[in-house]
Amino acid sequence: MLWEAIGFYSLALFLLFFAFKTITVPNPIHAALYLVLTMIGVAAVFFHLGAEFIAGVQMIVYAGAVMVLFVMVLMLFDLRAEIRSFSRGLFSGALKVMSAAMLAGLALGAANSSVAILEAPAAPLGGGDITRQLGIMLYTKYLYAFEILGILLLVVAVGVVSVSRIKGGTHARH
Amino acid sequence: MSQLLPVFALALFVIVFGCVLLAFANLISAKAKPNTVKDESYECGLPSETSGPTKVPIKFYLTAILFILFDIEIIFMYPWALTYGDFISHGHGLYVFLAMAFFLLVFIFGLFWEVKAKALDWE
Amino acid sequence: MGTDAFEITVNFVKMVLIFLMMVQIVPLLVWVERRGSAYIQNRFGPNRVGPLGLMQLLADAVKFLTKEEFVPGRGYPFIYYAAPVVAMIPATLALNALPLSIPIHVEAFQMMGSSWGPYIFKFQGYDFGIGIVFVLGVSSLAAYALLLAGYGSNNKYSMYGALRASAQTISYELAMGLSIVGVILLFNTFSFSEIITQQAGPLSFGFMGRNVEIGWLPNWGIFYQPLGALILFAALFAEANRLPFDLPEAEGELVAGYHTEYSGFKFNMFFIGEYGHMLVASILMVIFFFGGYTLYPWLTPETVAAWFTGFSPTQASLLTALVLHVVMMTKVVFFLWIFIWVRWTLPRLRYDQLMDLGWRTMLPWALFNTVATAIIVLIARTGGVN
Repeated sequence: MLWEAIGFYSLALFLLFFAFKTITVPNPIHAALYLVLTMIGVAAVFFHLGAEFIAGVQMIVYAGAVMVLFVMVLMLFDLRAEIRSFSRGLFSGALKVMSAAMLAGLALGAANSSVAILEAPAAPLGGGDITRQLGIMLYTKYLYAFEILGILLLVVAVGVVSVSRIKGGTHARH
Repeated sequence: MSQLLPVFALALFVIVFGCVLLAFANLISAKAKPNTVKDESYECGLPSETSGPTKVPIKFYLTAILFILFDIEIIFMYPWALTYGDFISHGHGLYVFLAMAFFLLVFIFGLFWEVKAKALDWE
Repeated sequence: MGTDAFEITVNFVKMVLIFLMMVQIVPLLVWVERRGSAYIQNRFGPNRVGPLGLMQLLADAVKFLTKEEFVPGRGYPFIYYAAPVVAMIPATLALNALPLSIPIHVEAFQMMGSSWGPYIFKFQGYDFGIGIVFVLGVSSLAAYALLLAGYGSNNKYSMYGALRASAQTISYELAMGLSIVGVILLFNTFSFSEIITQQAGPLSFGFMGRNVEIGWLPNWGIFYQPLGALILFAALFAEANRLPFDLPEAEGELVAGYHTEYSGFKFNMFFIGEYGHMLVASILMVIFFFGGYTLYPWLTPETVAAWFTGFSPTQASLLTALVLHVVMMTKVVFFLWIFIWVRWTLPRLRYDQLMDLGWRTMLPWALFNTVATAIIVLIARTGGVN
């Protein structure tokens, strides 16, 4: 139990550190790489909560596909590191105070309504392997959402190809 | 969490191993004697002709985005494959097959459209 | 990782040993590759240094360690040095999730005055219920090592090589993921040990209520999923950047692709990662399609355990696990040889041919395989349980 506590709290600390570095480091590529580490940490948190399949999906899709795209895009633009990583001025100062307040409110609300982290997760409905429960529910209770998702992905695919062929762009159709 | 600790311990060990090896190689290798020729990027020995940002064809990004979409669709097939046997043994095999068949139809249509629209062509 | 000091220590040492096995396989595989390719090309390979040229790799390692260390002038030092270390991590994490033999049961024993309880040590680093998904997730991190290497060198050829390599890797991950869906449809589980257990015994399945059994063939996955096996094997070649998909490292095309600016041991570490991926690929093929560590009817866990009835239970369990491990590694070595054999036999694919193959041939065939398997499983198992 002691090792679990140490493990969880160090994971949480690292995760917060990586997330903080993501938004404060001036070089965009370093920020993307810190974001990759954050995604991997989030997958670990999912695993700790008992959602093993979701942790795997987070790694495969988010850390393995989406972030690869981000890093590929960023590495190919010759981006200079921002000279000043923090902007100045009254308006941006007010925005910063507001977002810090919102973040504090979110954190307090989450802390108030969350259960003890180190307890074992509640037994899945009806017992049994949680991944199987997920599968069964996905194809019975949430079938409509699942099919709509397929159509949504099709729309995204068509949209991506069309946007890359915008008139005046490099790949416009003649 | 107790199952994740070995994963992190192993990743840490590999990183430490790599760093130790690099440090060791640094210690016993010949010292770096930088000169301008060695420091330039290697381009088959010829001096660099173009400079500035490299322009990369948009195909790479298109491939990456399409990969994300199809990867998500494949991820949805994993719980389906896992519970397929359970559905069959309860007599609902045809139902879950048809549910996934519609999704696959949309997927295949998407792929077919991409191929027809020449979005996956590489020169 | 375990409840008391003995268990934790043994488990940690086990993980480190598996990692070191991967590192040590590299010199052996490179020797096999150099000698094997030499014989295929009708010449001698290295045969001067040591008996049969076996010490050649040791000499090469010493050479690598003493090469001049420098960072390319315009490179980014931290990323440049981090890329080879990152290249080793995905293969190691994936390798430790794969079972290499049956678990070892250790009876309670006395040591240093206290009694250490009965343990069960699995023959793998860690065992997750979602085995396959974990291996896929960790393998998809391999693209980052390529991108970091290309970026850290700040050389446009390295960057191009890295881009092409990662685009190739992600294209073939689709076919790989899909062909594994076929395997899961068949075995109904994500866990590797269960997949191996289900491949024990003779070939038998239920077909529309009747039980078909062919006694002289083992119940291996290859007989149920031949197309899936072929697609997975081809996709794994692309994942490990091996010929015929090794354009990212092609000599003469992009100098050396994403590792142009690397010399010395950093270069070697990329190859540890690549051969590690080859090893993971071979083990995956053996686990999914070739029965893992069993070989019906002569070498199954029960028959091998019967050889060692005279020993104490701990020793019997250990010896059984070792024998079955040797069985598995023989199959794995066979697949590794096929990897090497293919490299020196097939010509390299051009990049657009490669991407066409991935998206327009393998993906549709993998889809067809999934649908066909689903239909056949539906027909076969309705009316009876297999």
